[in-house]
Amino acid sequence: MGRVIPKSVRNRFGICFGFGSIWIWDFLWIYAKGVWVLKMNMYRYIGGRLLQIIFTLFLIIAIMFVIFRIMPGDPASLLIDPKMPPEAKASLRAQFGLDKPLLSQFLIYQKNIFRGEFGRSFYHGQPVFEIIMERLPNTILLFTTATILAWGLGFFLGKIIAWRRESKLELSLTFLGLLFYSIFIPWFGLIMIWVFSYKLGLFPLSGMTSAELWMRKEEISSLILTLDILHHLFLPLLVLTILSFAGAMLLTRSSMLETLKEDYILTARAIGFKEKVIRDKYAARNALLPVVTSLALSLSFSMGGGVLTETVFSWPGLGREIVTATLNYDYPLAQAAFMFLSALVLIANLIADVLYAYLDPRIKY
Amino acid sequence: MKRAFLLLLILIGCELWTMDYGPWTKNGLWTMDHGLWTNPAFAQSKVYLRVGSQDEPKTLNPFKASDVWSWNVMGWFYESLYIREPISKKVIPWVAEGYPQFSGKAAIVKMKREITWDDGTPLTAWDVKFTADLIMDFKIPRYISDWEFIEKVEVVDDYTLKFTLKVGCTPLFQVGTLMSIIVQKKAWEKLVQQAKESKAPLRTLLDYQVKRPVSAGPFSFSEWVKGSYLKIVARKDYWAKGKEVAGRKTGPFYDGILYKLYGTTDTAILALRKGEIDFIYWPIEPGFVAELSKEEKITVTTSPDNGFFYLAFNLRKRPYNDLSFRKAFAYMVDKEFIVQRILQGYGEPAYTIVPPGNKFWYNPDIPKLGGGLPKDERIKKAKEVLKKAGYIWDRKGSLLLPSGKPLRSFNILTPPADYDPIRAMSGVLIAEWLKEIGIPALAKPTSFGTITQKVFTQQDFDLFILGWQLGIDPDYVRVFFHSRQAVPDGQNPMNYRNKAYDKLSDSSSEECDEEKRRKIIFKCQEIIMNDLPYIPLFFRDRVEAYNNQTFSGWFKDLGGISGSIIYLQPKIKPKPSIQHPASRLQLSLIWIFIILGIAGGYYVLRKRRKKIKDKK
Repeated sequence: MGRVIPKSVRNRFGICFGFGSIWIWDFLWIYAKGVWVLKMNMYRYIGGRLLQIIFTLFLIIAIMFVIFRIMPGDPASLLIDPKMPPEAKASLRAQFGLDKPLLSQFLIYQKNIFRGEFGRSFYHGQPVFEIIMERLPNTILLFTTATILAWGLGFFLGKIIAWRRESKLELSLTFLGLLFYSIFIPWFGLIMIWVFSYKLGLFPLSGMTSAELWMRKEEISSLILTLDILHHLFLPLLVLTILSFAGAMLLTRSSMLETLKEDYILTARAIGFKEKVIRDKYAARNALLPVVTSLALSLSFSMGGGVLTETVFSWPGLGREIVTATLNYDYPLAQAAFMFLSALVLIANLIADVLYAYLDPRIKY
Repeated sequence: MKRAFLLLLILIGCELWTMDYGPWTKNGLWTMDHGLWTNPAFAQSKVYLRVGSQDEPKTLNPFKASDVWSWNVMGWFYESLYIREPISKKVIPWVAEGYPQFSGKAAIVKMKREITWDDGTPLTAWDVKFTADLIMDFKIPRYISDWEFIEKVEVVDDYTLKFTLKVGCTPLFQVGTLMSIIVQKKAWEKLVQQAKESKAPLRTLLDYQVKRPVSAGPFSFSEWVKGSYLKIVARKDYWAKGKEVAGRKTGPFYDGILYKLYGTTDTAILALRKGEIDFIYWPIEPGFVAELSKEEKITVTTSPDNGFFYLAFNLRKRPYNDLSFRKAFAYMVDKEFIVQRILQGYGEPAYTIVPPGNKFWYNPDIPKLGGGLPKDERIKKAKEVLKKAGYIWDRKGSLLLPSGKPLRSFNILTPPADYDPIRAMSGVLIAEWLKEIGIPALAKPTSFGTITQKVFTQQDFDLFILGWQLGIDPDYVRVFFHSRQAVPDGQNPMNYRNKAYDKLSDSSSEECDEEKRRKIIFKCQEIIMNDLPYIPLFFRDRVEAYNNQTFSGWFKDLGGISGSIIYLQPKIKPKPSIQHPASRLQLSLIWIFIILGIAGGYYVLRKRRKKIKDKK
């Protein structure tokens, strides 16, 4: 952010209110510029929504805190040896802050979160943020790519089947899409591994890298290492795309069918435009609206990864880590991971709303 | 435009095909993917034992780690003064030179001089004292119970230690204290000081991230790529290499161990069949055995697991506090059926609390209550016992208490089927069998956390089915049934109280003569099986699989074959068995390009046809 306020004004306000830094004034200035100078309500809307998000996030943190505490089981049980004397057990609980009343545990937790401290995992002993950052890129690589691919494919097929309504193509694609949509992921994943990796030997069995190759990474060019990751990525990506394109396809189809009833399509036909132009430029673009907004939402959900997919393909992502953390009463890790995901979903909601206004000029905030 | 794209595609394809793949070009990547043994480059250079692992270590901090995945790796880094010999399970000196010399409450232990850490510094008595003080000062949860009868540890000279005990003599000193891990003073000293000065010393110590553990054992830590593999390499200067232990030469005779991660048993088994790994480091389900046994290169082994599964009663409640009721109950549990049908024969019915694999402490003379009886006989015997104790049945056949009151329906808590199908299924079967003599029981699958909470902490339950993973030393026989442990979070949630048993079992922890102690432990097993606070259900077998083409020297031990991997000798094959002109990566690329080519060709043709049509 550049300093947009003239130096003289800045100094006067800075001195006047005793602020060492002037950043806050810069922010206010831009905010005012947005609201007042440009007379755009969008900023006010976003600001309001941001406040809402913060409030919702606070609520989510509180609910999660309670849910984890009423979950039966004891986080200290992982560390405690059955033969340990009771005093030693009590002192261990005290050191992890588990002996304090719930309310004070909650207040400490809130205070730390506002400071940006998410604590250390009970199980790994490692800072929670580090663990999430280790796993998140892998999850983003697989699931976000898969979501975008699935939505791309879904949109493409959706517009075609809406255009060719009641054809055999529509029937077969809808049937196939729904079939894959309802298949049990681990089963399908294992079958794909068995056919493509074990029988045909085209792809690796599991994981994200070949141990034998990475062990000698100094001797091997980075292009080969990148290709190795892509090689590992292909099969899970294929499985995820096949399994989830149906959602976008059916959404596009119904949205497109609505659009096709519009007068402007009739006009376009009357003018004598080519079929492809009417389909792609008139109908599909207008049908894109609900698809894009729901893509924004699915992208945020995809960050959580898929526990089952990650397990079947041994993909080192966040989904498995969250489940292990929950099962092991690793409160700091599980809570932080859920909070992170909730924040992503909330922000994605906001982006979807803003996108709506961008894509549909009729909508104003 | 499209033609240019196609041309570009073909050019990239050609480039990838002919590209220099570094050391892989000569032998092809194909051979690498099929295992080190088929790849001449590896066979000539480094030989790794490739182990399939279901999870990664949670931490490399030996004071924190409580999971099996961490110890599968870390177990190779820390030596102890004494160890148990494989198979015989006798305690033998390891870092120590000879057995401890006792004089009163003091024990002198001499140490070997040739042992070094992998940073070149010698392992001395100072390291042992440092570890001992650390465990006792911080009361490290995992280890403190092994050190609670130690007053102090002193260094006599660099290689001699003096342990002063609080008690006169205890067998737990040798099998617990002296088998504890030893960490390097140099590596931990600073951190321990920092922890002591912090607000929560124990937590600071436990949260410490060990990036590169210093090893005194046969392997050194090398590399950990999270989510993919962990590599440890054999130490060339390992002091025990070549020494004979139980008639076998100690290794390692290969260059290291590569732990590779597989999320499910299914993929690990495919990897084993394909030759990607040599050994799966976790038990496999009996369902896979038939399929694996067909493969010539794979050997499936079964070995007794050192643990048992049991059903326990809440003796605070009626009628479970009545021995006759428990006896009738025991008659109705058909353990043979559970082993044959649910475990598919991979196990043994349990009639005592020490697994038969733990040969020295297992009492084979315990009477087998109801063992091998047909169903009618079981019902007859159970009814006899109940009648004798005054129980009666109403017209509908429901059991009534001696007071004439009807019996309240009760719950058998079992872990859910996705956690352990065997225990969940056993619970359902037992509840059904009990209905045959009019006892209203219901198996209630409950999450593991809830069971431990209800049973051990709140002690609010009727019956539960759980299991124990055990050590070799039978001290657990004392701990599980001692009245001192009948407290919240204690190990005796059944509230079994028997003064004679307390006294006898206490004497087992003070008896240093092994033969005499064995007799006491035998007697303890007898008392427990007479009083039946537990009904032991079964001992499970551990089914494991390994590739017999790559390493030789595998042997079974109590708890599996994992203990034998230090003695393995690699089988070097002179010629690779699989040779293929193209690598797998190259092969996949060719496939992708063929598919893309066909699709592109089809698209161009269609376009052209359409154009011609339009022109017409």
